Amino acid sequence: MQRITIDPITRLEGHGKIEIFLNEEGNVANTYFQIPELRGFERFCVGRPVEEMPLLTNRICGVCPEAHHMAAAKAVDAVYHVEVPPTGKKLRELLYSAFYCTDHTTHFYALGGPDFIMGPDAPVAERNILGVIHKVGLEVGGKVIQMRKFGHTVVEIIGGRKIHPCTSIPGGLTKGITEEQRKEIETMGRWAIEFAQFSLKAFNDIVLSNKAYLDLIVGDIYTHKTYYMGMVDENNKVNFYDGKVRVVGPDGKEYVKYEPKDYAEHIAEHVEPWTYLKFPYLKNVGWKGFVDGPDSGVYMATPLSRLNAADGMATPLAQAEYEKFFSALGGKPVHQRLAIHWARLIELLYAAERWVELATDPEITSPDFHAIPTATPTEGVGIVEAPRGTLTHHYWTDERGVVTKVNLVVGTTNNYAPITMSIKKAADSLIKKGNVNEGLLNMVEMAFRAYDPCFGCATHSLPGQMPLEVTILDPDGNPINVLKQYCE
Amino acid sequence: MKTLIIGLGNPILGDDGVGWRVVEEIARKTANQPEVEVDCVSLGGLSLMERLTGYERVILVDSIFTGKKPLGTVSRFSLKDVPDLTAGHSASAHDTSLRNALNVGRSMNISLPRDEDVLIVAIETEIIYDFSETLSTSIEAALPQAVMAVLQLIQP
Repeated sequence: MQRITIDPITRLEGHGKIEIFLNEEGNVANTYFQIPELRGFERFCVGRPVEEMPLLTNRICGVCPEAHHMAAAKAVDAVYHVEVPPTGKKLRELLYSAFYCTDHTTHFYALGGPDFIMGPDAPVAERNILGVIHKVGLEVGGKVIQMRKFGHTVVEIIGGRKIHPCTSIPGGLTKGITEEQRKEIETMGRWAIEFAQFSLKAFNDIVLSNKAYLDLIVGDIYTHKTYYMGMVDENNKVNFYDGKVRVVGPDGKEYVKYEPKDYAEHIAEHVEPWTYLKFPYLKNVGWKGFVDGPDSGVYMATPLSRLNAADGMATPLAQAEYEKFFSALGGKPVHQRLAIHWARLIELLYAAERWVELATDPEITSPDFHAIPTATPTEGVGIVEAPRGTLTHHYWTDERGVVTKVNLVVGTTNNYAPITMSIKKAADSLIKKGNVNEGLLNMVEMAFRAYDPCFGCATHSLPGQMPLEVTILDPDGNPINVLKQYCE
Repeated sequence: MKTLIIGLGNPILGDDGVGWRVVEEIARKTANQPEVEVDCVSLGGLSLMERLTGYERVILVDSIFTGKKPLGTVSRFSLKDVPDLTAGHSASAHDTSLRNALNVGRSMNISLPRDEDVLIVAIETEIIYDFSETLSTSIEAALPQAVMAVLQLIQP
């Protein structure tokens, strides 16, 4: 049996690598994708006051600290059985909407966009954010930087600090905003709406009007008919901060809708011997392996999943784009993974509109942003939609509020099984009878980028790249060919 | 020269927090030097580039994992000396390399230090995947040398 390994060689051995096993005919037998996992977080938390969790958890991940801060804040509210006053909730959601604009913008222009704007066949050296700027114009680069700056500024005004907010406490926030700050936030939000519309137009002009790109999106390589998860408000519209978790089946119909506190009744985790990370699945459907279809409990949680799982968007401009999206792609649900990029831009527009809605809410400057907890702490669950998928924090404490147990189901973990399936499908289509198409690395990377997975949340040690190395081995394990990317 | 000293890394991820520990010590030693600004952040790529806006010279203190040097070895080099293995491509699933991000920023006419003025003091580490607020013994022992390496860079 041939064996192909895609390995980030400058990181730790045995982590974050892809192994592709070929059968005797030289076709793909199976693929194994290992994600590096940071270890010992639960042990690190046990024994600490639970109100520290919003500060600690925003250090888990270098990419979405704001998401962990929010999920932790909601879990801590639940632990203390305290209801956050409306102004407190709105301020948190306002911060979170601005964060979404920053995150989705960065992803589209710096990471996902290059595949489409430069084209999937463009040389690797051009298929990057600099290439995008040169092709679309310097003006766009300036807008991207401006969008990020505005997003960071709102996080700092409400969250007390850029990127790593620190103001959420049990029962609300430590501070509110002034009328002057509100005006500033509103002005930035209105600019964000225009920017989101501009981005959707660029996507439409460059990608959707190009048949080759459209074929790539609707093609079969990254298509899997799975369940889809996303949080919805009381009208079944997409919501990032609060609501119930809704799951729809491969047929698009509601399978279940549950309160965050009931997540463990619906989600279980499958263990494989070849990876430390677990594979969450729908408990009541069951684990049937890395397969799609209504009998397999595999689900996806991404921007596309949220659009599939909801009945629409809660803001008018985003709703119009939502309708256009499903109309162009043949109705609900959309199973093609590369459509995640388009869905992300629709969410960008929604986040910007929601930003302005909240910034112009009469209650937003109220001093009533915190309720003092009075009940004895016990346990609590907090769920938000992180940009990369549904994020669940579950804490248990003793009667003093000291943490005794922690369970997290993070965005990328939800998608571990679907990513594994996409890699298998890309490999299947590009490896025939032992011939490995040169596009393999890129197709695998495109799968990564669509899901935007967190690999151990590595903003950490130098050199910080994610090099890939594909080693093809003969049946006896001897390497016969090596493909490299980002390697010395 | 307007200089910013940044401790990089995750303060709760074992030896990955060494950059913060070094820079916290630098902050104490340079408290009476207004021309020196210090900060500790967990950033990379575009976000780190944005933090460097407006400075002529930057010193980054971070953990490094080459696997080729003894633990605790302190190295000094500039960003210009670091091979940009990404070829201008996305360096991780989420971000781009600092060099690429600086190129993007400069093309936007953002005032940023030159690659040769982004100086790096790196401490060879290994335990960067386990949550802990303490450094391992060999890394703790390297702190004075790393602090000295930074101080030498800012001597007038």
